[in-house]
Amino acid sequence: MAKITLGCEPVVGSLTPSKKRDYRVTNRLQEGKRPIYAVAFNFIDSRYFNVFATVGGNRVTVYQCLEGGVIAVLQSYIDEDKDESFYTLSWACSIDGIPFLVAGGINGIIRIIDTGNEKIHKSFVGHGDSINEIRTQALRPSLVVSASKDESVRLWNVHTGICILIFSGAGGHRNEVLSVDFHPSDIYRIASCGMDNTVKIWSMKEFWTYVEKSFTWTDLPSKFPTKYVQFPVFIASVHSNYVDCNRWLGDFILSKSVDNEIVLWEPKTKEQSPGEGSVDILQKYPVPECDIWFIKFSCDFHYNAAAIGNREGKIYVWELQSSPPVLIARLSHIQSKSPIRQTAMSFDGSTILSCCEDGTIWRWDAVATP
Amino acid sequence: MSSKPSLSASASASGSRSEHSKDPTTNKLPETSPIPRDISSVIDSLKKQALADRCVSIKERMEENRQRLVGITKHLHKLSEERRNNRNSDIDKSVDLLTKRQRDALDMQNGNDANNGDKASHCSQEDGHVSSAVLLGSSIAVKNAVRPIKLTEVKRLPPYTTWIFLDRNQRMTEDQSVVGRRRIYYDQTGGEALICSDSEEEAIEEEEEKKEFADFEDYILRMTIKETGLSDPVLEALGRYLSRKPCEVKARYEILNKGEKSVVGSKNGVIEDISQTLTSYLDKDLDAALDSFDNLFCRRCLVFDCRLHGCSQDLVSPAEKQLPWNHLDEDNIPCGAHCYRLAVKSESIGMVSSPVCADFEDKTAPSSDGAGPHLSSRKNCGPSSKRRAKSCQSESASSNGKNISESSDSEIRPKQDTTSTHHSSSPPKTRLVGKCAIRKRNSKRVAERVLVCMRKRQKMVASDSDSILSGRLWPRDMKLRSNSRKENEDASSSSLKKVKPSITGRSRRKCSPVQDSNKLVEGEVPEGQMNEMINDPPASSSDDTLRKEEFVDESMCKQERSDDKSWKAIEKGFFEKGVEIFGRNSCLIARNLLNGMKTCLEVFQFMNCSENKPFFRAGDGSNSMVEGYSKVDFNETMGNEVRRRSRFLRRRGRVRRLKYTWKSAGYHSIRKRISERKDQPCRQYNPCGCQSACGKQCACLLNGTCCEKYCGCPKSCKNRFRGCHCAKSQCRSRQCPCFAADRECDPDVCRNCWISCGDGTLGVPSQRGDNYECRNMKLLLKQQQRVLLGRSDVSGWGAFLKNSVGKHEYLGEYTGELISHREADKRGKIYDRENSSFLFNLNDQFVLDAYRKGDKLKFANHSPDPNCYAKVIMVAGDHRVGIFAKERISAGEELFYDYRYEPDRAPAWARKPEASGVKKEDVAPSSGRAKKLA
Repeated sequence: MAKITLGCEPVVGSLTPSKKRDYRVTNRLQEGKRPIYAVAFNFIDSRYFNVFATVGGNRVTVYQCLEGGVIAVLQSYIDEDKDESFYTLSWACSIDGIPFLVAGGINGIIRIIDTGNEKIHKSFVGHGDSINEIRTQALRPSLVVSASKDESVRLWNVHTGICILIFSGAGGHRNEVLSVDFHPSDIYRIASCGMDNTVKIWSMKEFWTYVEKSFTWTDLPSKFPTKYVQFPVFIASVHSNYVDCNRWLGDFILSKSVDNEIVLWEPKTKEQSPGEGSVDILQKYPVPECDIWFIKFSCDFHYNAAAIGNREGKIYVWELQSSPPVLIARLSHIQSKSPIRQTAMSFDGSTILSCCEDGTIWRWDAVATP
Repeated sequence: MSSKPSLSASASASGSRSEHSKDPTTNKLPETSPIPRDISSVIDSLKKQALADRCVSIKERMEENRQRLVGITKHLHKLSEERRNNRNSDIDKSVDLLTKRQRDALDMQNGNDANNGDKASHCSQEDGHVSSAVLLGSSIAVKNAVRPIKLTEVKRLPPYTTWIFLDRNQRMTEDQSVVGRRRIYYDQTGGEALICSDSEEEAIEEEEEKKEFADFEDYILRMTIKETGLSDPVLEALGRYLSRKPCEVKARYEILNKGEKSVVGSKNGVIEDISQTLTSYLDKDLDAALDSFDNLFCRRCLVFDCRLHGCSQDLVSPAEKQLPWNHLDEDNIPCGAHCYRLAVKSESIGMVSSPVCADFEDKTAPSSDGAGPHLSSRKNCGPSSKRRAKSCQSESASSNGKNISESSDSEIRPKQDTTSTHHSSSPPKTRLVGKCAIRKRNSKRVAERVLVCMRKRQKMVASDSDSILSGRLWPRDMKLRSNSRKENEDASSSSLKKVKPSITGRSRRKCSPVQDSNKLVEGEVPEGQMNEMINDPPASSSDDTLRKEEFVDESMCKQERSDDKSWKAIEKGFFEKGVEIFGRNSCLIARNLLNGMKTCLEVFQFMNCSENKPFFRAGDGSNSMVEGYSKVDFNETMGNEVRRRSRFLRRRGRVRRLKYTWKSAGYHSIRKRISERKDQPCRQYNPCGCQSACGKQCACLLNGTCCEKYCGCPKSCKNRFRGCHCAKSQCRSRQCPCFAADRECDPDVCRNCWISCGDGTLGVPSQRGDNYECRNMKLLLKQQQRVLLGRSDVSGWGAFLKNSVGKHEYLGEYTGELISHREADKRGKIYDRENSSFLFNLNDQFVLDAYRKGDKLKFANHSPDPNCYAKVIMVAGDHRVGIFAKERISAGEELFYDYRYEPDRAPAWARKPEASGVKKEDVAPSSGRAKKLA
C-alpha cells in the first residue's frame, strides 16, 4: 500500500449527504433464491438505455424500466447446467448492431447471447476458472474483456468469437483477477485489479494488429494466433487487500478494496521504463460497512455520479467529479438488509438499481427535490 | 566545440546560485535560536498552506479531467445514437426481438396502467410497506409472459491457472517472490480468508517503508530553515513533525542545497552528457568497458541476460589459455589501405595515391560472402576492371579457403575462433574437439568427403553469385564464376594433398552467420564507408559500438591523425586481447578489435616498439581472411602445414594419454559419490574459479560436485567429470559412465559423442550410420516426444502421448521456474490449500515450480502404477528433469508417473501402502483438484 506522504494527502469526501438529489424505492423484485451478482443498463445502444439485465444463478434476465417505477421482464435465459452461477454480464453488440448480452460465471464459459434473436450466439471456452467481470469497449462494442480466477484477463471479439489477447504471464496478476475496465478514450488501454492487491494497467498498442485481424478472421477461431501480453505498463499498489472493482474516470482510476472506501488516483507512468511509475491518490469516497469483497460500484453514462451498495443493503451515491467529493444521497430501506453486490445507474443517473445477495432487485428513482 | 561554452556557463551559473542559496542561512544563523513554539507555528502554517495548495491542485486536476471526460462521453453518446440510427435505416427488414419485446412491454404497461391504476401510488410511498406490497402487480404480469430460453450446456474445462509455456527452466525473478509478502488466500470451499505472513517478514516490510523525502517534505524543510534558520531546535522540531531523526533532516537539507546547485548545472550539462556517453567507452580501460558485458553475458548459455543462470555470475576465466590463432595460408595481400605491408611497399615505391588505396580496400575487402563485395566493388567503380575481377575471385574463393583454414584451425585450437567470431560463437564449434580424433583416424575417408563437400560448395558458390548477379550477367561475371570454380578446385585439391581433414558442414554453417553480419553491416553503412565496415564481419559487440561512434570522423581523417594519436588504455587493452587471440598479426588485430581506432600499420608499429622485437616474418602477419586466395604459395604453406601438424599431433597424443589416465582415476570416485548420495538430493553445480588443478579449497569439491567444463580449472583437474568414450553402446546403459551418473553426454567432454542434424549431411560420417550415434543427449538436443494436453481419464487435465514409444524412451522435460526451497515452502502453503501444486524438487538448492510457467508435462497425473518415470539429469552443468517411458506406451495413451511424495507429506490420494525411499516431491494438479471436485 502506498504510504501517503506529506503534501500528497487525498481529499476525503464528507459522509453528510448533500441532499442534492433524493431517491425513493419504486419497485422491488424477487428473482429467485440465489444471489444476484450483477446488474447493468445497456449504454451501448441508445434505443436500449432503459433496458437492463441481471445475472444470478444460472439465469440471465433482461428487463425494461418503464415509467412510474414499473419493471417489465423482456427476456429470460437459463443455462442448462444447473451448477452454473453467473457472476457478471455486459452489454455488447455485433458489427451489425445486434444487441448482445455477454455473461460469465463460475464455469469459466463466456456466453454471448444474441438478444435480437433470443438465442445463444457463441460460447467462449478458454478461461481456466470462473469469470469475475466482463466489460465492453464502448468505442468498439464487439470487443469485450474478461477477468478470471485463472489469473488472466482476456480480450475477445464477440463478432468472430476469437480470443485475441491474454493479459497474463511474467508480469501478470498473481491471484484471481476481480475487475477490469477499458479506458474510455484510449482504446489500447485497460486496467485490471484483483486478489493480488494490485491494479495493473495494460497496453495493447503493440498488439493492435491482432485486434484488427480478429475482425476479418475467417478460419477457425482456435487457429487464431492468440498473443500473450505478459507485461503491464503500470502496476499500482494502492490497496492492501483484495481490489474488487476498478473503473477509469478519464485518465484517473477509481478503485475499491475491502476497506470501506473508493479511491480515486492518478497513475503516473514513466515512458522509458514500463512497469514503473508512481501513484498520486487524489480523492477518497468513504463507503461505510463495505468490508466484504465482490461489491462493485457503477457510474452513470457521464461519470457524474457513482453508486455503491454495502454489506447492510444501503447505497451511497457519490458525486464523482467534484472536489471535495460530495455525497449526493445515502439510500436505505428498512427491508433492504442483504449485501448489495452491484448497482446500476441509468443513463442520466435518475434511476439506480441494486441487486442483492438474497436475490432481490431494487429500483430507486430520483425524486424531484422540492 | 559546443560543449565548451556550455560547460563554463554552467559553472558560473551554479557558482552564483550556490552563493545565493548560502546567503539566507549564513545570515540567519547568528540571529536565530528561536523559541520552539515559533518553529512549530512556522511549520504549522507551512503545513496548512501545503494542504490548501494540495486541495487547489486536486481541484484543478479534477476539473481538467472533467472537461476531457465531457468530450469523451459526448462522443460515446454520439456513437450509441448512431447505432440506433443505423438500425433504424434497415429496421424494416427485421425488427430484432429485443426491440419487439420492448414495444410489447410498453404496450402492456399502458394497458395495465388502466387496470391497476393504483400502482403508481404504491411506488411513491414505499418505505413502510411490507415486501409483498412492493412487488407490483404490473411487473408480475409482464414477467409471466416471458418463457425462459434455454442455453445449451457447454462442458466446462477442468480448472487451471493461465500459464506460460517454457521450453527451458527459468530462474525466478525477484518480483515473483512471495517471501516477505503478505498474502491473502480465500478458501472457496470453506469460505474463509487466510492471511499468510510471518512475523519476521513483516519486519522487513517495515524497514522498506523508510522512504525518501517527498517533494513536499523537502519544501517544508527548506522553507522552515529559510525562515527560522538552521539550528538544533529547528531540526528537532522538523524531525518530530516529519517523524524522522534530526540528523536525517540535516543530511537531507545538505543534499537539497547541493541539489539546487546541480539542477542549474545539469541543464547545461545535457550536451556535455551526450558527448560524454559517446566517448565514455574510450575513456575506460578494457576491463571497465567489459564490466557490463561480464555482468550480463552468460558464458554457459552464450546469451545476454540469461534467464536460467541470471546476471552477475561469477566470472570464471579458464586456466588453460588458448594458443593464438594460427592461419595456414599466407600471402602478401594487404589487409587494407593502411596495412603495414602497403606502408612498407609504399616507402620503397614512393607515394601511393589515395584513390588507389581506396581501390585496394575494395579489392581486398575480404569476406566470405561472395555477393556483397561484388556489389560494392561495382558501385565504387574502381579504375581497373581487371583488378576488380581478380578481387572477386579472391572473394568467392575466400569462402572456400576460409572454411578450409578455419576447420583445420579449429582442429588445432577448437575454441579460439569463438572469440574472434563473436556473433557466431556457439557450442557447435567447441564440439569439434570430440570429433577430432575420429577424423584423424579416418583421414582418408574424410578426404573423400572433403572432395564431396568442395563440390557441393562449388555449386553453392556458383548459385550464390547466380542469384545475386542474375539481373546483370556480364561476361566478366561469367568469367569470374568459372574462375572461382576453378579456384575451388584448386583449393580442394590442395587441401587434399595436404590431407587436411574435415571440411565439415559445420564450418560451412559457421560461415553463414558471418555472411549475414556482412549483409547487415552493409545495410547500416553509407556506401562510401562500406568497405571499412565489411572488413570487419566478426567484430565483437562492444567493438561495434565503438566503431559506430568513432567511425565517421575516424574514417575521414584517419590517415592524417593516425600518427599523432597516442594509445588509449582501452586500445591497449584491445591490443593485448588481440595478441592473445590472433597472435602477432596486426592485420587481424586491427580489423577485428581496433577497427576505426587504429590502423593495421599503427598496430604493427605499436606491436614492434612495445615488444622491441625485430620484424617478424611477413607471412605471419598475413591476412587470414584472404587465406583461401588462389595464389597460395604452396611450398610455404606446405612447410608450415607439416610443422603445424606435427605440433598438433604431439599435443593430441599427450592429451589422449592424459585422458586415459584420468578416466580410470576419475570414474571411480564419481561413481562412488553417486552411490553414496543415492538418497540425497543432487547438488547444484557452480563453476569454480580455480586456476590450477583443484585442491581442497576448490568450491566444487567442497560443494560435493564434479568440476565441469565451465570451471576455471585445467582439464587435468582431478575433480573433473571425464565424460565417456562409448562407441557402440550408444551410451544407453549404465555401462556408459555418463548414463550411470545420471548425466547426459556432452560433446565437449565425451570422446565419441557428437551432435548431428540427423540426416548426416552436416558432418557426421555417414558410414558410421545410426548405430554409433550417442543416445544420451536427448534433453540437450530437445529430442522429445509430442505431448498432447487433454481431459484426463482419471481426473482433471492429463498429458497424452501422440506417438507410441518404446521402453526408456525420453518423452520430454518437466520445465518450470527455479525457486529456492524457502520460496517453495511459502508458495507450497497456498498450493497445498488449493490442493494443486506443481513443485518438483530439483536439487539441494532449487525447486521447480510449474504453476505459472512450465510445459504440458506438468499436467501428467500421479499413479502408483505409472507408465513413466522422472529422472533428474545433469545436462551441461544444469540439473533438469526428464520424463521417460517406463514401458512401451502406445499412441494416445495418457501419461502417469509416480510423484514420489515424502510419505509423511503425501496427500491421501497419493499415499502408497508401502512407503519406499522417496525423494521427489510433487503434487498432482489435476488429481488434486479431482479430489476437491469429486
